[in-house]
Amino acid sequence: MDETVAEFIKRTILKIPMNELITILKAWDFLSENQLQTINFRQRKESVVQHLVWLCEEKQASVNDAALLDIIYTQFHQHQKIWDVFQMSKEPGEDVDLFDMKQFKNSFKKILQRALKNVTVSFRETEENAVWIRIAWGTQYTKPNQYKPTYVVYYSQTPYAFTSSRLRRNAPLLGQALTVASKHHQIVKMDLRSRYLDSLKAIVFKQYNQIFESHNSTTPLQERNLGLDVNMDSRIIHENIVEKERVQQITQETFGDYPQPQLEFAQYKLETKFKSDLNGSILAEREEPLRCLIKFSSPHLLEALKSLAPAGIADAPLSPLLTCIPNKRMNYFKIRDK
Amino acid sequence: MEQANPLHPDGESKGGVLAHLERLETQMSKSRKQSEEPQSVQAQEGALGTKIHKLRHLRDELRAAVQHRQASVKASTANVEPNLAVEMNEQEVLEEKLENVKAVLQAYRFTGLSGKLTSRGVCVCINTAFEGNLLDSYFVDLVIQKPLRIHHHSVPVFIPLEEIAAKYLQTNIQHFLFSLCEYLNAYSGRKYQADRLQSDFAALLTGPLQRNPLCNLLSFTYKLDPGSQSFPFCARLLYKDLTATLPTDVTVTYQGVEALSTSWEEQRASHETLFCMKPLHQVFASFARKGEKLDMSLVS
Repeated sequence: MDETVAEFIKRTILKIPMNELITILKAWDFLSENQLQTINFRQRKESVVQHLVWLCEEKQASVNDAALLDIIYTQFHQHQKIWDVFQMSKEPGEDVDLFDMKQFKNSFKKILQRALKNVTVSFRETEENAVWIRIAWGTQYTKPNQYKPTYVVYYSQTPYAFTSSRLRRNAPLLGQALTVASKHHQIVKMDLRSRYLDSLKAIVFKQYNQIFESHNSTTPLQERNLGLDVNMDSRIIHENIVEKERVQQITQETFGDYPQPQLEFAQYKLETKFKSDLNGSILAEREEPLRCLIKFSSPHLLEALKSLAPAGIADAPLSPLLTCIPNKRMNYFKIRDK
Repeated sequence: MEQANPLHPDGESKGGVLAHLERLETQMSKSRKQSEEPQSVQAQEGALGTKIHKLRHLRDELRAAVQHRQASVKASTANVEPNLAVEMNEQEVLEEKLENVKAVLQAYRFTGLSGKLTSRGVCVCINTAFEGNLLDSYFVDLVIQKPLRIHHHSVPVFIPLEEIAAKYLQTNIQHFLFSLCEYLNAYSGRKYQADRLQSDFAALLTGPLQRNPLCNLLSFTYKLDPGSQSFPFCARLLYKDLTATLPTDVTVTYQGVEALSTSWEEQRASHETLFCMKPLHQVFASFARKGEKLDMSLVS
């Protein structure tokens, strides 16, 4: 086994937390049950890693086997990457999409290999009709760098792909490979970015609201919880209960009763003229637009926005710039004067 | 009247005489009473008699009054009771009707297309089925406004919902719904066939079934007789019509090196036709039955 491959496997296994190690190794399915049983996982991590690398050498692991392990690690730790969303399109009147996974993989690999000569491309299919692609980039003259790979998650028979890590040099090539292999014509980057792949998928596929009214539902629609303590003394009356109810209703109409998809930020790039009520303000009455960047951050942005009006921090209804995020499938906005 | 005894001496008759006088007195008073009683008795009798008359009269009056009342009450209840009974029945009937309607609304899903009104419009439910088996359901929540729009839905992303909506939603909502039903039912049917092949006939497959999300390209290798040494057939089914559950193109190839004998070639060709004409799992069911027949013939 190549020194570089051994080093690569070692570094990958070192990244894996001890409590996940056995699960990930089993998912990798490269070392057999018997081999795994020979390892004492209670030792210090370094010893365990050494033993594992030795077993891999015995079995002559290739760079592709190591790449597969890297994919599995990344699948377990999706949140460590920031994912971009790409949307592809076809010409109208195209034939029905008869997606063939084998053809796709071959085509994708060929396009990259023809362009770069040195590139490691690995695939792992998942159950939700998605394929994870790992690309380690090299050039005509240098070997692929296994430590800065790009991941692509492509949902077959849809126009959407999610990619990790910002590419500069190889972005057009990756776009071309994806488009041609999946029999599309164009690819465009959406203004949507997040660490949470599941939430991005829910937003892009418009699957975040799965609450439907039907005559067959066994659970009745839940009574709207006003957020007021039901056990409160009935002698206590809220002075502004009408207002509270109005806010609750508007919030429910805007955000629905379903759990919001998880995003960490929304960014607004303003290129608008400054508007002010005060006359003679320094910033007002300028011909040039004011350039300004506003970023909202939160561990769970949409839930935070949903709770603004009920908490009394903002007026209801909220600005449509904030509430349109899942519907428009954007969290990066450029706002100009019309 | 008792006669006083004259033979008694005066002294004795004093006692006797006074006593005698006393006796006479008491006798007299008794007789007076007796003579009075029939009078009072008569009077009393007369009084009682009249009282009896009065009471009888009163009794008759009261009896008559009671009867009159009863008659009138009966007459009035005869009018009232039917109304009360009707009210009770109406309520029961309404409740029964309500339960009936609710059950009918729930049963509507068996028609494949049902819906429920919402505050903004209607939530349509498409229940798919294939060969009498009820399969997955999909929802489309519509907002009734100008223009009509889809609020949210559970249709899989690879079904061309936007295309169908762009064509029909604004102009002909019936066509929109029927077209969507077609696509979803066909998809469900193809998926069902692929699932059945994988689960029920794994023994006849010599490799994993290759399929895609729409289940419109299926690729697999199979052997009629799993135990035999012959090479398997390789089948590739293309479903270019997304509203159909049968393939549009079928190719069955032989993976072996040598050329096929005529019988094998005939079989290969017949399989191609079979896959075009019958659902996938039914074709394999007939393969399995043929296999059993062969076994039976070997035994005998």
